[in-house]
Amino acid sequence: MHEFSIASGLVEKLLEFAENNPDKRIIEVRVAIGEFTQIEEEQLCFCYDSIITEMPIAGSRLTIEPVLAKVQCPHCHYSGPPKYWDGALAGTPVPTLECPQCGKAAAASEGEECAIRSVRYTQPNEMAELIR
Amino acid sequence: MLEASPDEIYDIELEHSLLEANGKLAVENRALLDKNGITAIDFMGAIGSGKTTLITKLVGKLKERMGVAVFNGDATTSNDADAISAQNVPVVQIATINGCHLDANLVGKGLRKIELENLKMIFIENIGNLICPAEFPLGSKARVVVVSVTEGPWMVRKHPHMFLGAQLVVINKIDLAEVMEVSVEQLIDDVHTLKPDLKVIPTSCKKGTGLDEVVDFLVAV
Repeated sequence: MHEFSIASGLVEKLLEFAENNPDKRIIEVRVAIGEFTQIEEEQLCFCYDSIITEMPIAGSRLTIEPVLAKVQCPHCHYSGPPKYWDGALAGTPVPTLECPQCGKAAAASEGEECAIRSVRYTQPNEMAELIR
Repeated sequence: MLEASPDEIYDIELEHSLLEANGKLAVENRALLDKNGITAIDFMGAIGSGKTTLITKLVGKLKERMGVAVFNGDATTSNDADAISAQNVPVVQIATINGCHLDANLVGKGLRKIELENLKMIFIENIGNLICPAEFPLGSKARVVVVSVTEGPWMVRKHPHMFLGAQLVVINKIDLAEVMEVSVEQLIDDVHTLKPDLKVIPTSCKKGTGLDEVVDFLVAV
């Protein structure tokens, strides 16, 4: 399942960050997932949690920020949410490239990303060490 | 779960696309192909859809007209590569072992392994999987998705993402549509519900139906 390769890429990038910032402890990473990618959120989190168990970033949380799909139509110049298809056997309605306004072929303008947005970290100090 | 008091938490923006690494390599592959005047076509489809037979037939029709090579992604065997080798065109087999998709890195390595000079067309046969390859462009000019009527009536509905990224859909084994009780028209309709202008060509590799139309489409890409 490709959620695993995406999770691996994510972990690799975070480990790079951790190595370059040894004084910081990552507690959360926020990842934007576009609706058009149809990357499965739960599977991605599961893969992430499985991979990080024995790593410096163990205990950190993956938070997914869904990005809604948007299309732009070169025929009628519509710009906005796509037409969704209920009939696809995908659990939830699937965004299509049919222009909701004129019915011709539109292009995706938003919702294709799969990207790290930000990392949340702490800077462990002596007090935090004592409390723990 | 790690916890920290609110005054100890910091956020840092790290805008980084997780698809970027493969995407960059795909762009490099495309630049190399364009520089050499070569069109690469990425063939995707489930195991048993007929990708290898289709590619073999297309190679047979094209090889007299232009230099053609085939990259074959196969998880464990060289069966498919052997079948295409019989056409006497360069074949590069890419062993993905446990990989569920070809990636631009592997294709890039393949491009550096063959003589590009007299080639006009490279067919890349992706892994027999309709989910994973969608996220991983290879640097091809067009993606062809192959489905066959023997896979039943729901293949388009079950893999919408794959079809959104395609430039051509081949519906194969149409000679068996009646006995399978699968409607080719419904499959075409499903494709156009997802992407209205997506070209669909019904074929029967066994009988030769539709193959010339596929050749014409690919040559014009």
